Amino acid sequence: MRKILAVIKREYLQIVKTKGFIIGTILGPLLMSLFLIVPILMSVVSVAEQENIGVIDASGKLFVELDKKMEQKLKDGSRRYLLEEYRLTGDISQLKEVLNEKVLAKELSAYVFLPADISEGGEVEYVSEHVSDFDKTNNIRNALNSIIIGKRLKAEGLDPNKVGQLMRRVSLSTKKVSKRGVEEDTGGTFIISYFLVLVLYMTLIFYGQAIMRGVIEEKSSRVVEIVLSSIRPFQLMAGKIIGIGAVGLTQYTIWGLFGIGFTTYGGALIADVFPAAASFKFPSIPAYIFIYFIIFFILGYFLFSTLFAAIGSMVNTEKEAQQFMTPVIMMLVIPLLLIVFIMRSPNSSISVILSMIPFFTPTLMLLRVCILLPPFIQVGGSIVLMALTTILMIWLTAKIYRVGLLMYGKRPRIREIIKWMRYK
Amino acid sequence: MNALEIDKVTKNFGDFCAVKDLSFNIPKGNIYGLLGPNGAGKTTTIRMVMNIIIPDKGTINILDRKMDEEMKKRIGYLPEDRGLYPKMKIGELLLFFSELKGLKGAEARRRIDYWLERFDLADWKLKKAEELSKGMQQKVQFIATVIHKPELIILDEPFAGLDPVNTKLLKDFMLEMKDKGVTIIFSTHRMEQVEMICDNICLINKGEKVLEGNLNRIKKEYGKNTIVLDYEGEAKYIKDFAGIENIDDYGRFMEVKLKEGGNSQDLLQYLTGKIRINKFEVKEPTLNAIFIDKVGEQNEKNSGGN
Repeated sequence: MRKILAVIKREYLQIVKTKGFIIGTILGPLLMSLFLIVPILMSVVSVAEQENIGVIDASGKLFVELDKKMEQKLKDGSRRYLLEEYRLTGDISQLKEVLNEKVLAKELSAYVFLPADISEGGEVEYVSEHVSDFDKTNNIRNALNSIIIGKRLKAEGLDPNKVGQLMRRVSLSTKKVSKRGVEEDTGGTFIISYFLVLVLYMTLIFYGQAIMRGVIEEKSSRVVEIVLSSIRPFQLMAGKIIGIGAVGLTQYTIWGLFGIGFTTYGGALIADVFPAAASFKFPSIPAYIFIYFIIFFILGYFLFSTLFAAIGSMVNTEKEAQQFMTPVIMMLVIPLLLIVFIMRSPNSSISVILSMIPFFTPTLMLLRVCILLPPFIQVGGSIVLMALTTILMIWLTAKIYRVGLLMYGKRPRIREIIKWMRYK
Repeated sequence: MNALEIDKVTKNFGDFCAVKDLSFNIPKGNIYGLLGPNGAGKTTTIRMVMNIIIPDKGTINILDRKMDEEMKKRIGYLPEDRGLYPKMKIGELLLFFSELKGLKGAEARRRIDYWLERFDLADWKLKKAEELSKGMQQKVQFIATVIHKPELIILDEPFAGLDPVNTKLLKDFMLEMKDKGVTIIFSTHRMEQVEMICDNICLINKGEKVLEGNLNRIKKEYGKNTIVLDYEGEAKYIKDFAGIENIDDYGRFMEVKLKEGGNSQDLLQYLTGKIRINKFEVKEPTLNAIFIDKVGEQNEKNSGGN
């Protein structure tokens, strides 16, 4: 046991002391909070400038009303859109040509052509250098719609305001019922689940590959046999996996503390700096989800890290490892592709079966736990299944690892690897 | 009393038989040479002794006990494929190896400092392994082999890749360990080293034992039928002399093995006047000659048997 401890200590310190780990651990949460804060700020801080928009009003009756509707203001109180009317005196195509020139010369940011039969379904044309300013096109579309619909209603003798009231939409509030009662949920669950599953996926791949690289380094530097003169291959593998796993847990702890601090004080902090964002609420994560997250991380980590260790032992370079890694990474990617499906019907029998497949359990069962807590028999069953698979995989991979570590030269074929497992 | 007893050990890798029914004993306090051409099964045998791979058949006893993990603390092993963790500092690296052997912190540090001082590496303690020259890395590997004061040291091709300075250092080091009563086993295919330092040898080829025993006795058994010739001139026609069994010609130096009953004086007479002879010595065969003779004989026998 002392020997395994020595290996654990070495593996742990070797990674924790690297610049990559320190930067990743500190930068990770900073990046994550940036992803959270920036969109909030973007929605508050506007970057709009005043724009000139040309209008060709073929009907001759709409410009004044449109000008009144397009009254959006900039921060300094001036109008956002300055509308200029261009009277249709001669040939329409000639006038459009003139306006095209003005758009290209940046005198106008855009122009719209309102046909004479606009009320009868004639199509409005919007011309600009680019059509990706959805804010502007939406404003124009909404203004024209309200003008034209109002006109049609009046023509039928109806009061537009009255009709507007009558046409008010029904609002739908989404609530989640669980054993703990009814609570409001407006999509926070979706974000949290998605986020946690992605974090799990990324850390499993990251630490799995760290183990693989470690094994390859031991082989390529030829240090491994010196180590094996003191301990058994299995002890080396176990020490390596536990040591690097401890690095993962350290990182989660730091991130977790950061996350708790952020959700507790971050909102107030942002509200202080940007009062407009005060209404934004951070989704909070229930404690039981955290506990399951750690359980699935540990189980998933052991399952996949043994595979990565075995791959590392079979090859001589990282490049050679690619071929063996593909199926293992597929096991991790497939559940990601199923996320939307599981979210839409988390309790369907297919979802249940998929989440019970040991290699998919860490991500998919965690996802189901986040969305709605499945019956204990399913969660517990998947954990037992995973634990059994992990033990089986450790037994198999340890056999490969033991032989592979001392094999240099050509990359082995699958048939040879199966033969290795039979060696005494 | 034997430090190591190998009894009827066999190891197969799939269809390939790496070691076949091998038995030999190594007396305590000896320097023992395990010889054989490349691929003879030396490394496989040593790995089985170290419990890194498990024999299919047979038993291995070390220091009067069956090999187990605890025993690894009493053995120092320098493998043929050896290296260091490139990113680790020398001090940390040696501490790690010491901990693996069960040494505790303060004592391990004291011994590390002693050895680094002795091998002129004290200034490199805080440097990473990858910053050291190959020769320095080899010294660090020697230290790792003996830091825990083993009773048995196993060296697999220890002289491979060493420069003359480190070769001498290692040789002196081995003799020093022998004086302290440590048993040393080393494998090699370089005969001149064995001849100079080994007490006993075991020669294996294709996984089987060919020859075993005390080096002096083995040489005596071969008898004084070898002539070492230091000469100048054209010596091709020496082949025509009847009674020569084998010639190993280096151009200015020649080792000649006579047939049984061959007379060395006849050969001297035959050569006189044809070439300039600087030295003509009748002696026991070199181990190299015995090696080539025995291995060649066995290979012939095998191919003949097929």
